[in-house]
Amino acid sequence: MIDWSAFLLVAVASLLVTSIVVSAYSFGLRLLAASGRAPLVEPASFTDAITVITPEESKAAAKRQKKAAKKNPLTDGQKRLALWAAYACFAVAGAAVLYGIYLIIPYFHH
Amino acid sequence: MDLTLIVVLVIVLALFFDFTNGFHDTANAMATPIATGAMKPKVAVGLAAILNLVGAFLSTAVALTISGGIIKEGSEGVLITPELIFAGLIGAIVWNMATWLFGLPSSSSHALFGGLIGAAIVGAWSLEPVDWIVLLDKVIIPALLAPVIAGLVAYTATKLAYAITRRYDSRPDGRDGFRYGQIFSSSLVALAHGTNDAQKTMGIITLTLIAAGIQTDTGVIEPWVIITCGLAIALGTYMGGWRIIKTLGTGLTDVKPAQGFAAETSTATTILASTNLGFALSTTQVASGSVIGSGLGRRGSTVRWATAGRIGIGWVLTLPSAAIVGGIAAAITKLGTVGIVIDTVVGVIVILGIFWQSRRNGAVTANNVTSEVAASGEAVKIKRNPKPIKKVSL
Repeated sequence: MIDWSAFLLVAVASLLVTSIVVSAYSFGLRLLAASGRAPLVEPASFTDAITVITPEESKAAAKRQKKAAKKNPLTDGQKRLALWAAYACFAVAGAAVLYGIYLIIPYFHH
Repeated sequence: MDLTLIVVLVIVLALFFDFTNGFHDTANAMATPIATGAMKPKVAVGLAAILNLVGAFLSTAVALTISGGIIKEGSEGVLITPELIFAGLIGAIVWNMATWLFGLPSSSSHALFGGLIGAAIVGAWSLEPVDWIVLLDKVIIPALLAPVIAGLVAYTATKLAYAITRRYDSRPDGRDGFRYGQIFSSSLVALAHGTNDAQKTMGIITLTLIAAGIQTDTGVIEPWVIITCGLAIALGTYMGGWRIIKTLGTGLTDVKPAQGFAAETSTATTILASTNLGFALSTTQVASGSVIGSGLGRRGSTVRWATAGRIGIGWVLTLPSAAIVGGIAAAITKLGTVGIVIDTVVGVIVILGIFWQSRRNGAVTANNVTSEVAASGEAVKIKRNPKPIKKVSL
């Protein structure tokens, strides 16, 4: 007997878990940006797929970041709230991943 | 031939297959983070090797599918001898190496199943020894569905990631931060790879031990089998990584951090969910499906159907081709000891020949190194930086 429900389960579980993890992480980044701390992460190495960033360009990006942070319409309290909300989002993403790993290890279920 | 000698030979061959599997598949987990610059190549490869080793210890569901499911052993089926498994492995390795040389997309897992099935059919000279329903249920249908599922999930995830972080006021959107996320998501793919692919070799070795009468309990995997398989795949991953570092930068398509993060997360969840249910799918195909899906999730993208078609044909061909090679190898083993010697010699000659050939052609080129995952990125054409459509700000 072919168990079609198992395939459906895989599809739904993958979609649900991925959506939760990716959404939580994205909201975290969005809130970080809202609190005026949009992360600037330069590529660790430059492959063909990445346009090489010169030191001037990276400086300019940092300047833009600072300027945007200064013009931030949020109050200090709101900024702090956004920052904590961002951390909460990252925690949700991390927890979802850990729970997923917990589920697949049979050792924890014996 | 001495029974224990053939068992040792099969185990060595299985571990070699495991090594080539890791060698071939480093890029599955690490092509996207290296491409977006999330990690230095050396760091990425080392991390992939360690996590493959860890992953090998996590689960045994897939190994049990292989050792106990697909091919019927013992009284109710046809007797599977270590010689037949040996022939199947020869088929899998030869096909894997050949596709690697010619830069054809293929799947180590399907090569393995193809080789075994071919050997079993020829060895028994009937269709009896293969449990076709289990084969369909646990291998063929997952093989067809998993890349599609991974693609759809990656498409959705990419749309979500972009929609949530999109800003219309041209302020920094923080999407650089996906590079940090990629470190975790690609680690998860490496872990998932270890849980699914290392188990395939564990299944083969256990099948051999059962067939040779050394192990009687079909429901367990011996600890030494788990350890050696984990080490072999980790070593292969690490060695394969050097090859990728050397030649990376050729033929990689533009991957953005948000897209890479979405693709890796969907690859990892699809593999882990399937592993949990004992589906032996091809991690390469799942990763390729995710890369294509996430490419389509970006605005201004279209599919290059010719490239996508070529990848698809490679997927379909692998199982029957490896089955034919495995079948021929099994036919030769029927000659007895002489047959095994012929198989071994031919196998070694083919492997050395392919290595020599790849060195002679200026070592590795864009055709054979960047793997199917990187190649599948080319199946999607993306316009650079399309303008935002709406003007809403938060």
